[in-house]
Amino acid sequence: MKRDPAAGTLIPRNALVWIIISQFALLAPHLLRLPLWLVLVYLGTAVWRLLVFQGRASFPGRLVRASLALGGCVAVFLSYGNLLGLEPTVALLLIAFAFKLLELVKPKDAYVLLFLGYFICVIGFLFSQDILFVLYSLFTLVLVTTGLVALHRPREDRFRLGSLRLPALMLAQAFPLMLVLFFLFPRIGPLWTVPVKSHAAKTGVSDFMRPGDISELSQSDDVAFRVQFDGDIPPKSELYWRGLVFSVLEEGAWRSLRYNELPGLELRPPPVEPEGEPLEYTVLMLPTQQNWLYSLRYAQPAQRGILSTADYRLYSPVEIEEQLQYRVRSWPLTALDPELSDWRRETELTLPEQDNPATRELAQRLRSEAADASAYVDSVLQHFRDQPFVYTLQPPLLTAENSMDQFLLQTRRGFCEHYAYAFVVMMRAAGVPARVVAGYQGGEINPVNRTVIVHQFDAHAWAEVWLEGRGWVRIDPTAAVSPDRIELGLEEAVAAEGSFLANSPLSPLRYRGVNWVNMLRLRYDALTYRWQSWVTGFDGEEQYRLLQDLFGSIRAPVFAGAILLSGLVVLIPVGWLLLQHRRPRPLPPEQRLFLEFCEQMRRQGITRTTGEAPGSFGRRVAREAPKLAGWAMELTEAFEQLAYGGKSRDAAAYRQQLAGLRQRLRRVPQSGSER
Amino acid sequence: MDTVGAIDDAVAEVGKALLGKEAQIRLALCCLLARGHLLIEDLPGMGKTTLSHALAAVLGLAYRRVQFTSDLLPADILGVSVYDRNDASFTFHPGPIFTQVLLADEINRTTPRTQSALLEAMAEGQVTVEGETRRLPQPFFVIATQNPIHQSGTYPLPESQLDRFLMRLQLGYPDAQAERQMLLSSGAQQTPEAVLRRCLSPGELESCRAAAAEVHVADSLLDYLQRLVGFSRERPEFAVGLSPRGALALLNCARTWAFMNRRQHVVPEDLQAVLPAVAAHRLVPSGDYAGDGHALVDLLQRSVDVIRP
Repeated sequence: MKRDPAAGTLIPRNALVWIIISQFALLAPHLLRLPLWLVLVYLGTAVWRLLVFQGRASFPGRLVRASLALGGCVAVFLSYGNLLGLEPTVALLLIAFAFKLLELVKPKDAYVLLFLGYFICVIGFLFSQDILFVLYSLFTLVLVTTGLVALHRPREDRFRLGSLRLPALMLAQAFPLMLVLFFLFPRIGPLWTVPVKSHAAKTGVSDFMRPGDISELSQSDDVAFRVQFDGDIPPKSELYWRGLVFSVLEEGAWRSLRYNELPGLELRPPPVEPEGEPLEYTVLMLPTQQNWLYSLRYAQPAQRGILSTADYRLYSPVEIEEQLQYRVRSWPLTALDPELSDWRRETELTLPEQDNPATRELAQRLRSEAADASAYVDSVLQHFRDQPFVYTLQPPLLTAENSMDQFLLQTRRGFCEHYAYAFVVMMRAAGVPARVVAGYQGGEINPVNRTVIVHQFDAHAWAEVWLEGRGWVRIDPTAAVSPDRIELGLEEAVAAEGSFLANSPLSPLRYRGVNWVNMLRLRYDALTYRWQSWVTGFDGEEQYRLLQDLFGSIRAPVFAGAILLSGLVVLIPVGWLLLQHRRPRPLPPEQRLFLEFCEQMRRQGITRTTGEAPGSFGRRVAREAPKLAGWAMELTEAFEQLAYGGKSRDAAAYRQQLAGLRQRLRRVPQSGSER
Repeated sequence: MDTVGAIDDAVAEVGKALLGKEAQIRLALCCLLARGHLLIEDLPGMGKTTLSHALAAVLGLAYRRVQFTSDLLPADILGVSVYDRNDASFTFHPGPIFTQVLLADEINRTTPRTQSALLEAMAEGQVTVEGETRRLPQPFFVIATQNPIHQSGTYPLPESQLDRFLMRLQLGYPDAQAERQMLLSSGAQQTPEAVLRRCLSPGELESCRAAAAEVHVADSLLDYLQRLVGFSRERPEFAVGLSPRGALALLNCARTWAFMNRRQHVVPEDLQAVLPAVAAHRLVPSGDYAGDGHALVDLLQRSVDVIRP
């Protein structure tokens, strides 16, 4: 059999199989956001490469490869309309990853491919840092490493699942080091910014509200944020999470005041006197790509980097692109804006000229019947209760002009934003300062870890009315129409209609009636909360706090020392364990003496080879240095008797023989050196 | 030590028939003293048959020689029952296997069926013919010769059968001096058995075995042996490593070798001396290293070279 000289430098079959498996595993999590033809690309390249392995096809030539690369770019462009942005670039990367398989000739190509695999493994975190995804990433990590290991195994190795064991073990050994790096590696800010988040749509409540917007948001069962209260959880009907305040009505839509519309004196919130005991809680917010944060009313941020706006909301100067954890203190009883500035009063009274004439007329009529502003509020709410208003997730569309006239007098079917809209319009028309507040109302209390889970379908809009002496008072016209919405939540409020999460039949939230499904969901949510607050929420700030707890003040040398020291603390036990495993048992004394003899002989120029038996070596010494012959033979025999002989295993005789050997070793014949 | 002197005599005696091959003769005797069957493999005309004849002669055992051919049948070795008209019954006519030393010449020229007929005899010292199990005389040795496998007209012995042979020896060309001496003495037309003196009695043979079993094996030597065996199992060059039976065979031979060298304990040299003969035919090289048997011996030598005793 003639041996191919290049045979040893080809990719072993087993490695090829593992590489292809890990490619598909890496592709899988991206399938939902990437065009499906990518799967065909992966299948095609895998089949092609396997045919090459079987010798039934050949590697593509330079021309074919170039046209494939170009074709890939064109296909991505056709799918996305551009080549920039996160998703198109990820698609390009994944296509390149697939095509690289067709260049997989030598082990060095496999290295490139597998290291690219590690990179793709990390890419997934741009999209999700969910605990399940992290577990899946660990799995792909093992798969890629298995490919790397298979590359170094004999060519004859068969494919078997047992191959996963060694890489898994190796990665498990790296786990303590990973923890150290996770806790201590400096969180370095980005050196440059790329618009990676362009893919992510802004989620949650927007700063622009048109009737129908919030009912649309209520179709989603995504989690908006989770809250952990330090003390007891307030009743659900008190959980009004303020996010936005809409003060301006323009072209039939509400929007909040822009920063440049505020006069200089109005930029900061007017000081108020906190009343009562504060509620302390931590909010863990999922990325929204927006700036506003959610809190109960009169909130003070207990954290740097979060601002308070003039209408007593929390605001982040940077968009929330990653999940954000922040601590808040709230005094719900506090009166906001006890004195209303002229500018503010004027702003909160402004309505577009001459629209909704019927609504204005109704407002004026009710106002004239009421004694004061407070009584007027009550009579408007009473109006909502008396008239056949319906709270529904499927409100009819309203015309752009005079939409409130249409809503109040004709359709009378609406979601919270309709009621808040109509209510505020009626207030302003009657000269009572009022504004729409948007955010979330209520939430689900997870009994597992006592967090409040606020979903997108908890999105809500309500109103605030300024009353003399009481400041801004929260009025929820929806509560007048559908008290269930506030007391029990959206699901019960629209139960008769059956429209709750009608578009997501598989959402576990629809099966809250099934006990174990619900329990499983709540447990997983508790786990997610822990994961998000401890792992993905562990940012530079948290790290700083941890180190401060550990070392008091943090200076560069302390920090560097901590990193080095904890690295050692982890590595030394691991290394020690490994060495223990590998180190041969300590040599018995006679072996050490014989090695001493070998060393002496080495200095004389006679080196013992690794596998040379003691007897053979003794004879060789005798042969090559005749002057030492007698001594060397005697010594070797004495050693062999000690090491391999069976007679004198009782301790005294053994020690005596050992001493004899040692003495012999010391008495080197002097003439030996002139060999 | 009397019996050891007799062994040295036997080595010298066989050396008269096969010149310049003392090492192989010693190994062959070691194999027989350890109660193992011997396989001699080499090209035709290297003295395989001479060696086996001479061994049987110096041990003073009853021996038969069977030339294995492709048309040899199991009954030709084991024996057949023949109808006796006088007694009106079947009488068993024992085959050539009912002897103490069976010289199986060119064992790989016969079909696997006949080869496997030897299997029971070699493993258990008995044969079963026509449903009746018969003991073979004791001691019972098989000394087989075979041609290298790549020669035409051969049926390679299966691994299970190779495993029954304690040692496999390769003779190789004689050195120039020995060859010249052989050429000079070619005039004498006497068969070895006619010339050679019997050196060991069956009783001495038995006592050798008992004495070899007494040879001490230290823990450190067992460590070394296990490292050697482990090497064959771990290295990618070997598709199949040394079996526990192989390890046991290695230890037995090393004991006998130590005994033949007048030692009461085994030293690493003993293991190294018998390793190629005991291990080479039990190992299967993996694809990349599939060559001839000599490459395997080289690999074994390397295992000796890299493992510190």
